[in-house]
Amino acid sequence: MNALPWLIITPLFGAFSMPILGLLGRKVREYWAVIISGFTFAIAARIFYSIWRSNEILLYTLGDVSPIGEGVKFPIRIIWEVDLFGALLALTVAFVSFLAIVYSLGYMKEDSGLDKYYTLVLVLELGMLGIVITGDIFNFYVFIEIMSIASYVLVAFRNDTWEGIEAGIKYMFVGSLASSFILLGIALLYGQYGTLTMAYLAVKIAENPTLVSRVALAFLIGGLLFKSGAVPVHMWLSDAHPAAPSSISAMLSGLVIKVGGVYAIARIIFGIFNPGLHEYLKVFGAPSIGVNTLGWAIIFFGCLTLIVGNAMAVIQTDMKRLFAFSSVGQIGYILLGIGIGVVAYGEKAGEIALTGAVYHIVNHAVIKALLFFVAGAVIHQVGTKNLNELSGLARRMPFTTLSFLIGAAAIIGLPPLNGFASKWLIYESSAMYNPILAVIAVIGTVFSLAAYTRVLFTFLGIESERVKTAREPGKTMLIPMLLLMLVIILMGLLPWQINEKVMLPVAKMLEQLKGEYIMALVKFVGGV
Amino acid sequence: MNILYATLGLVGVYIYVSFVSLLWEGLDRKLVARMQRRMGPPLLQPFYDFLKLVSKEAIIPRDSNKLFEIAPVLALAASISLLAYTPVGFGPLFATKGDVLVFLYLLALIAFIRVIGGVSSGSPYAQIGAQREIIMLASREVSMMLGLFAILWRLAKLGAERPFSLETLYQYNIWEIGTPLTIVGTLILLIVFIFWLASEIEVGYFNIPEAETEVAEGPMAEYSGRHLALFKLSSALKEFASASLVVAIFFPWGLSGYLGMSGIGAIFVDLVFHTIKVFIVLFVSMSVFRAVTGRLRITQAVNLFWSRILPASIIGAILLAMDILGVIA
Repeated sequence: MNALPWLIITPLFGAFSMPILGLLGRKVREYWAVIISGFTFAIAARIFYSIWRSNEILLYTLGDVSPIGEGVKFPIRIIWEVDLFGALLALTVAFVSFLAIVYSLGYMKEDSGLDKYYTLVLVLELGMLGIVITGDIFNFYVFIEIMSIASYVLVAFRNDTWEGIEAGIKYMFVGSLASSFILLGIALLYGQYGTLTMAYLAVKIAENPTLVSRVALAFLIGGLLFKSGAVPVHMWLSDAHPAAPSSISAMLSGLVIKVGGVYAIARIIFGIFNPGLHEYLKVFGAPSIGVNTLGWAIIFFGCLTLIVGNAMAVIQTDMKRLFAFSSVGQIGYILLGIGIGVVAYGEKAGEIALTGAVYHIVNHAVIKALLFFVAGAVIHQVGTKNLNELSGLARRMPFTTLSFLIGAAAIIGLPPLNGFASKWLIYESSAMYNPILAVIAVIGTVFSLAAYTRVLFTFLGIESERVKTAREPGKTMLIPMLLLMLVIILMGLLPWQINEKVMLPVAKMLEQLKGEYIMALVKFVGGV
Repeated sequence: MNILYATLGLVGVYIYVSFVSLLWEGLDRKLVARMQRRMGPPLLQPFYDFLKLVSKEAIIPRDSNKLFEIAPVLALAASISLLAYTPVGFGPLFATKGDVLVFLYLLALIAFIRVIGGVSSGSPYAQIGAQREIIMLASREVSMMLGLFAILWRLAKLGAERPFSLETLYQYNIWEIGTPLTIVGTLILLIVFIFWLASEIEVGYFNIPEAETEVAEGPMAEYSGRHLALFKLSSALKEFASASLVVAIFFPWGLSGYLGMSGIGAIFVDLVFHTIKVFIVLFVSMSVFRAVTGRLRITQAVNLFWSRILPASIIGAILLAMDILGVIA
């Protein structure tokens, strides 16, 4: 039996049944959310494992066995096309969402309207899972909107606070604008090529790369850079992450900006506007899309993002805002890796960069989830996130401080933890491709080191009045933190094994040197 | 089996280095005393100090947190791991491609753990000391890294089998390249490294974070008993490891080759000869420097590093680069 549909069915069923089951009482509702997200995690793990074992792209057609219509030679149905990259992201999404839901049990205890909360979290998870498995560009837009709308509402979930409402409105306005850019790009592509299947679109664009396809590409990338919080358009992120409940910040920062942002950028570039195909066309003097321009544009935004994000993190006094800016900075590293992967397509540097970017997506999702859980624990127990008032927390909350120490060391990239290997791959590839980029990347890390050292000293320093009565949070909040810590440490102990066994195949499948993503569909068409 | 031998080797090196580095402390105190016409303590004084500190009651301040007690253990652990990557007359025990980064990382980590211990004590004196230590750490490492990487890069060009490993320092020698540019460049870098060593072990000009008379021992202000003993031991190990780096870069000659020895005997002879060279380097950079110079202010020290030592390091690195790129043939 194909497990893929269950990845969508399970959270969808969970979300839709929540209002009814919620009538049975608070406990039932909470256990139901945990069971559903745990089950989703198991399905995602199974899908990832089967794709990893077979190393083949999984193609699933909704409503039929073949995506090709009767009597026509092109795909007419919605397809889901999952390669290793999508499966890895699905696994990460399901894992972090599961932990965030467990964490919410303790963290959201004092809030009201929790039936809506758990429904929305499951919808958010559903949207992200849909984005990573879909192979149809309009379906992709629909899932992006599902994810975005759920996150707008969750950011403004505490609607009795001014900052929740303010951040929610800001996020909603710019997010809708970005979504409409994406929709415009999709409309242009459809008008020009008459198909919405990503892999088939790739074939059509390569046959006839018109100006319209370039404009559409610009709209798509522009909209997705918004969603990923790249620098000129990162302002929603630094408001939305601090204002959201911490379990949601962990999902926003760990998952939403990656799945709806950098994952989608990578998928659109490598899936639809495949650099290899266009390099190949260029050799024959045929019209093609200038992938170098595209790659350098992404590198430019990546460098800008990692400098500005990390530098802004240094000067923050609000802990969650600091983490939010640090997320912006880490997105910069991922964009840098993707950009080098595009400009150095088919070369060693490009492959290493792409591996580093994929690796960093997973690592940062885990680390940032841990850091936001820490921030949540502090806010929940002490009631403030102002760093000037939080001095000396280590004495009263040793476990939380340890989690922070591990998370901060991992995000800076200290060797025995997981952040090291992924950052190292990005440094190495950027030094191979262009040393100036490596220098910029290192400067970004120096800023990030400064920012986190400052928070660490605050945690360790002399005890302030405010924290004198603080205590550790309850078990439901500590266990997700413990699990994430274990994952960070275990991944840190086996960096090159993970790189070789998982991340390198993922990057190769994403890069699709032989057009595997397209071939998986073309197989059905029978020779285009 | 290989890992087993390397582990046994590490234990051996650890025992040897802790003995020798404490011995050097005694020697240093004796020498400085003689320079000031005093008798000085007996040669084995640091051993007595260590034993006494271990036997004393350790006082934990009320405002401290758990890391206050963990930091000394972590510092010693980091120092012992540092020894696995330190060249001690022969290549590091766990030599691999690029192990120089691990060496630098562990060296910085030890300083950072001291800072964490200081901050965790909840004493304002320790906090001020810790801030100074961080500032010094940030200032001194850049010029040293530049010099070290330039030299290792130059040696890697000679065809080292494991580039950027500290092992290459024993395969090729920076002096044997022999062109005027490398010799001048290396001499400049030697000066940089002597200053770096003095600041790494915090003596003379650079006795700033610890500054007894100013901030009452800085980060160590609240430490007592066995915690202090562990810190003292780890500082002694770090001292030896830092000086070993300088010796391995600039004076890597072994004795066993001349004596025609091999096997365990050669390793032992090289180790002892290396120790003597370390003592000589430490005599210049530690004892003499400590006896003849006073402490700088923190701003002066930072200024010294960024406006004197770093330019010197850049010049040295450029000279080495010019030699290899053949700018002046």
